[in-house]
Amino acid sequence: MIRFILERMAQLVIIVFVVSTLTFVLMRLAPGDPATILLTAHNVPASEEALTALRKELGLSESLHIQYVNWLRDVFTGHWGTSYVSKESVLTELWNRLPATVELASAGFAVMTLLTLGMGLAASVKSSGWLDRLGRLFALLGSSIPSFWLGFLLIYLFSVRLGWLPSMGREDWTHLVLPALTLGAGLGAVQARVLRAQMLELGDRNFVKAAKARGFSRTHILFFEIFKHAILPIITLLGTNLSFMLAGNVIVETIFSWPGLGKYFIDAITQRDYPVIQGYVIFAAFLIVGVQCLVDVVQAAVDPRLRLR
Amino acid sequence: MISNRKKRSWFICTGVMLLLAVMALSGCSTTNKTADSPSKGENTSTQQATADKKLVMAYTWKPSGVDPHGDNSWDVMRSGAGETLVRLNEKLEPVAWLAKEWKQDSPTVWTFSLQDKVTFHDGKSMDAESVKASLLRSIEKSHLAKDLLDVKSIDVTGRLSLKITTNQPNSALVSNLADPSTIVLDVASMKDEQSYPAMTGAFKIKAFNKDQSLVVERYDEYWGEKARLAEATMKFITDGNSRLLALQSGEVDVATDIPVDNAEVLKKNDKLQVLSAPSLRTHMIVYNMESPVFKDAANRKVVDSLIPRASIVSAIMRGYGTEASSPFPSILFFGKVERKALDGTAEQLLTKDGWQKDAQGTWTKQGKPFEVTLLTFPQRPELSVMAEVIQSQLLKEGIQVKIRKVENIDEALTKNDWDFAMYSMLTAHTGEPQYFMDMFYSSKSEANVSRYGSKPLENLLGSLKLAKDTAQRNAVTLQALDIINTDLPQSFIVHPDNVFGVKKGVEGFTPHPIEYYYITAQSDIAE
Repeated sequence: MIRFILERMAQLVIIVFVVSTLTFVLMRLAPGDPATILLTAHNVPASEEALTALRKELGLSESLHIQYVNWLRDVFTGHWGTSYVSKESVLTELWNRLPATVELASAGFAVMTLLTLGMGLAASVKSSGWLDRLGRLFALLGSSIPSFWLGFLLIYLFSVRLGWLPSMGREDWTHLVLPALTLGAGLGAVQARVLRAQMLELGDRNFVKAAKARGFSRTHILFFEIFKHAILPIITLLGTNLSFMLAGNVIVETIFSWPGLGKYFIDAITQRDYPVIQGYVIFAAFLIVGVQCLVDVVQAAVDPRLRLR
Repeated sequence: MISNRKKRSWFICTGVMLLLAVMALSGCSTTNKTADSPSKGENTSTQQATADKKLVMAYTWKPSGVDPHGDNSWDVMRSGAGETLVRLNEKLEPVAWLAKEWKQDSPTVWTFSLQDKVTFHDGKSMDAESVKASLLRSIEKSHLAKDLLDVKSIDVTGRLSLKITTNQPNSALVSNLADPSTIVLDVASMKDEQSYPAMTGAFKIKAFNKDQSLVVERYDEYWGEKARLAEATMKFITDGNSRLLALQSGEVDVATDIPVDNAEVLKKNDKLQVLSAPSLRTHMIVYNMESPVFKDAANRKVVDSLIPRASIVSAIMRGYGTEASSPFPSILFFGKVERKALDGTAEQLLTKDGWQKDAQGTWTKQGKPFEVTLLTFPQRPELSVMAEVIQSQLLKEGIQVKIRKVENIDEALTKNDWDFAMYSMLTAHTGEPQYFMDMFYSSKSEANVSRYGSKPLENLLGSLKLAKDTAQRNAVTLQALDIINTDLPQSFIVHPDNVFGVKKGVEGFTPHPIEYYYITAQSDIAE
């Protein structure tokens, strides 16, 4: 297990190095002078003197390779720079927004997991009943409706028409319902179909027939023989989607004005806030690698054969 | 059997963990309710608070802080917490605010008398010393304040009087003191990181929740008319559709910057109303004066004459705007200018200039077609639609236009591979033309995106700084605009309106051409 963790740590360092270098290069290739953008934020023209002073203040007057060396050194020493806009430490800014993103991702993950397990198991037990047909319809809608559209539909229905739930912001639990549904419903419906297919496929295997022959109950066979094996690919999917929810949850946070990392990232792009963009990408790399490690550990716990590979 | 028991306990453990995770989630939400939304708790704190009126506004921008001398001065001013020495009335004239009166002693020296009995939100009295300290801080912190005021020195000449000396004659000084970057605050309050800036407005800052909201509450010791609202909240909703939906669902009372396409939807809702006011913004075309085609003024004039301004105002702006004939809207006295008519038809002018129509109906000169590249950018979607309308109109007349969409227009304009570009600019943000014209038309300015140079115009800009009074400033500005409209470094298309969605029952919310005063002492809401 120690070797496993050390391997992952080494991977993490390499990924962070590659990601930071790529981000730095791409950011500098992108059009847009942050000094001009900052000064013209209110569309008032900026004087040349003000532009020069601001570029110097932001360290943009240094040559590119010096900017890169400084950036790389800072990444590995935990100094991720200062936001051009807020003048606050990037790491502090990201850290402050993490709870909101974790909260929303957890709620979305819960919706996704409940839908996956509930609809997947129900559809496999009644594989040609109305529940199965409903599940197929949800999966079709889930994979074809973009999350921004689903978000607006939910707001229109539950906030504007019915007035049951708030449409935006992060105050109490009611504010969490619509964004969590938007985030988790589509993915959950699609994953439920994968679980159903897995369950039905495994239902014909010899070990299931052997369990039936030994007289085990239907419930026992379903949960302790079939489901245990069918859940493995679902765990991988859940892990991948959790990474997506934590690191790429940009659209849902924007629609619902949810003050998390994704919305902060979008605002940083608009404002060409280089240190924040670079910091976010590395932060996201950490999150994704971390979640994937967690998925590996969970899979190894569920299926001991994986520990031997 | 032992094996089965193990399996069962493993699943029980998993189930318990899942249950705990769900419970933790709901707990997490509950914790945040108290931590992140102090205003929520206030709703039920006392019976009195429940009776008091609160207004919620969906606000387009997201300030990164509440320092009025930083990049967020506009947001602080709009919350009703900050005040400047001078404010602009609806005619955009400077009127007394924290300064009671002023006089110009010489072209570079001004004396200001301050209002008495003004207190900051921390209870301290405002006097000339504190105003001086605040102005010096604003100049130090804000590039815009430094440029606008151009201060050489500030001297306290009495408890409530101070003298401002500028480096050069600056006849726009009084109007420029209305800019939010010069909000007056108690400088000492900025040293305490635990408190909010102490300003002088009818509201004081109660809570600033980064990325979420700015909450202000009535300041009971306010020196002027007390605020009618007990509290106002600016919720930061950057997405236009989300702002609209928040208004429709009743979560907010006012929504700023409603996209004109959505205004029609709001008009159909009998609980809401759409308010608009002319803005000080101008959507325009900027010509690259170094472009092989547009360095010739005749070609710029032909294109200018073919822009279908009336159709753009009615079809694209849905009537929320006015046709432009100068950089400044006609609500300003010096914006009331006529667009110069073309001397003959476009065809006559081009023929006279050596252009001929080929078999396909395209104008050509020395074998080269009249083909130009028009830049546009996504941040103001209406400009891209205008670009397509203009492209279509010019094509009908035999001029080929290639539209190129760029991510950052300011960056693209520094290069030379464009002929003309869509652009938008706030042109008179203090009701004065000087700052914009110095930046936009001076040959030394980096913001002169057309690379336009005119000695007579620069002489006039020098005279503008020396103008003694408003009448003289207006006269000089009109002369400058005459040169601009003759040389045509830009074609001015439309002055868009600011559009707001407002719940019926909201009172005292008056859209104003100057976009500084949103929440004021007069803001109110029906019970």
